[in-house]
Amino acid sequence: MANIVVLVKYVPDATGDRTFTSDNTVDRVGVDGLLSELDEYAVEEALKVVEAGDGEVTVLTVGPEQAADAVRKALQIGAHKGVHVLDDAIAGSDAAATSLVLAKAIEKIADYDIVMTGLASTDGAMSVVPAMLAERLGLPQLTFASELTIEGDTIRIRRDGDAATETIEASGKMVVSVTDQINEPRYPSFKGIMAAKKKPVETWSIADLGIEASQVGTAAAWTKVLSFEPRPPRTAGEIVTDEGDGGTKLAEYLASKKFV
Amino acid sequence: MTTPTPYTESRERGELRQAVAELAGTFGRAYFLRKARDGEKTTELWSEVGKNGYLGVAVPEEHGGGGGGIGDLAVVCEELAAAGCPLLMMVVSPAICGTIITRFGTPAQQAHWLPGFADGTTTMAFSITEPDAGSNSHRITTTARRDGDAWVLSGGKTYISGVDEASHVLVVAKTEQAASGRLQPALFIVPTDAPGFTAQPIEMDVVSPEKQFTLFFDDVRLPADALVGREDAGLAQLFAGLNPERIMAAAFAVGTARFALRAAAAYAKEREVWGMPIGAHQAVAHPLAQSYIETELASLMTQKAAALYDAGDDEAAAEAANMAKYAAAEAAVDAVDRAVQTHGGNGLASEYGLGSMIASSRLSRIAPVSREMILNFVAQSSLGLPRSY
Repeated sequence: MANIVVLVKYVPDATGDRTFTSDNTVDRVGVDGLLSELDEYAVEEALKVVEAGDGEVTVLTVGPEQAADAVRKALQIGAHKGVHVLDDAIAGSDAAATSLVLAKAIEKIADYDIVMTGLASTDGAMSVVPAMLAERLGLPQLTFASELTIEGDTIRIRRDGDAATETIEASGKMVVSVTDQINEPRYPSFKGIMAAKKKPVETWSIADLGIEASQVGTAAAWTKVLSFEPRPPRTAGEIVTDEGDGGTKLAEYLASKKFV
Repeated sequence: MTTPTPYTESRERGELRQAVAELAGTFGRAYFLRKARDGEKTTELWSEVGKNGYLGVAVPEEHGGGGGGIGDLAVVCEELAAAGCPLLMMVVSPAICGTIITRFGTPAQQAHWLPGFADGTTTMAFSITEPDAGSNSHRITTTARRDGDAWVLSGGKTYISGVDEASHVLVVAKTEQAASGRLQPALFIVPTDAPGFTAQPIEMDVVSPEKQFTLFFDDVRLPADALVGREDAGLAQLFAGLNPERIMAAAFAVGTARFALRAAAAYAKEREVWGMPIGAHQAVAHPLAQSYIETELASLMTQKAAALYDAGDDEAAAEAANMAKYAAAEAAVDAVDRAVQTHGGNGLASEYGLGSMIASSRLSRIAPVSREMILNFVAQSSLGLPRSY
């Protein structure tokens, strides 16, 4: 028996134009968005776990109205129910405040065994929320899982590092983050798309979670973006014409960049 | 959130499009051409599309399908074609055979066949055209005669798609009415490995994984339950399957046109001669804009035909389905022609995958019913003009 809460995030479509709002935070309203691709691996892994045993998958998102699309996509893929924390006060929250909202929402969901997340969001890409969340909930964290096995209430993961591959396990309630190596996410079937219409989605405000507006949003953020500028366009590369000394010039270039 | 109007699709259908487009994008044109040129089938694509339930969107839920309509199935067909990897057998297997068995099969036939259409594990070909009759169902000479409880089938068919990929063929044959002695069309499910069944490939100059066949039935013995539905309701049953066929053929052609236009627009934006993209020249831009309009119009008529069919109005669907198929085929032929022209020499280079579409897009103008037969139909039944034949 494993009830799993999967965190999903609605992110700007990376193939579209991404912009910032006047307070220098990511514009999440005026652009096309979608379920963060890396979260699809978490949804898939959670579904595999409950399909192999039993239990339910609840997807949880924090975000503007359009974030309901990310919840719906997860429900189409097969999750059972959704929770959407929607509150204007949350806009501009940093990772610390986001993890507070998520932790309170998870405590309110109450009936869960595993909190599962992707490896990072494809917009913020900080990868810190799972650890912050584990800290707030007082749970063990198994992060960056590229393989996951369950025996009773123990979960064992493989964590691929640069220097070593670790095997880590924990028992009881826990937070698990998974990488894009762990599985091949499924596509929403037509039946899934139709069934998602009837699945329950609850919408909560921060007041429902006992959070004050002063604890979240831009004002509560520990960091502030002062300015930004678009990445400069790519410049043409340097072309070396081989006049018998091509190899030497190539080695010189690599040496100048400290590659050799 | 926009409210769907009769002129826009429901959110769910849009999401189905998106899901299929994503899946199709992982295969694409290069995969399709490699398989076709190597003489292989696009089996992996078919299985993947089937596994996700997209081939079975129109099969009733109680038989494992999605419980949607032909409009949903057409969207799947269109998106695959728009990604450059169309599945021709979708027009035949789930759309014609699946529909006919759903609407007219006995409960036992439905229980036996529909789950396989729902997940794509069943592929059934469809055969109506004959060397001397074309699609004129009144001139069909393939006959089925009773022999006790069984049937004995004799005759032949030509230009039948994908028989080598199918376990069975749904055959339109004539039976002798006991009372009147008149011959009436009836439909039979024939195993492709039945004794007396021969399929001969027809050499085609079309790059396609699906092959064309001539079929011979030499006293093929069939059990009683090979007959679909009622022996005397053949014509009504047949037309129930042919409207979905035209709607699917239209969706197939709309997808083909979209693929060609997307390629042409991308190339016209990128290719620079004399310091500006060729797409800035109206001689290049206008034909593509015109094709875009014609494709959108064809798509709209396809949606109308599907909506009428799914609402149960077979008669109104027939006119719309024929017109949609006409318009979509013309749009596809023109779009491919213009895309090739936009590409110049590259339009015929294998790398760009467009040259192979010249012949395959012409298929839409010919099959499943030719442009000329549709014009005859519209002249006679929509305008009330006298018959020429």
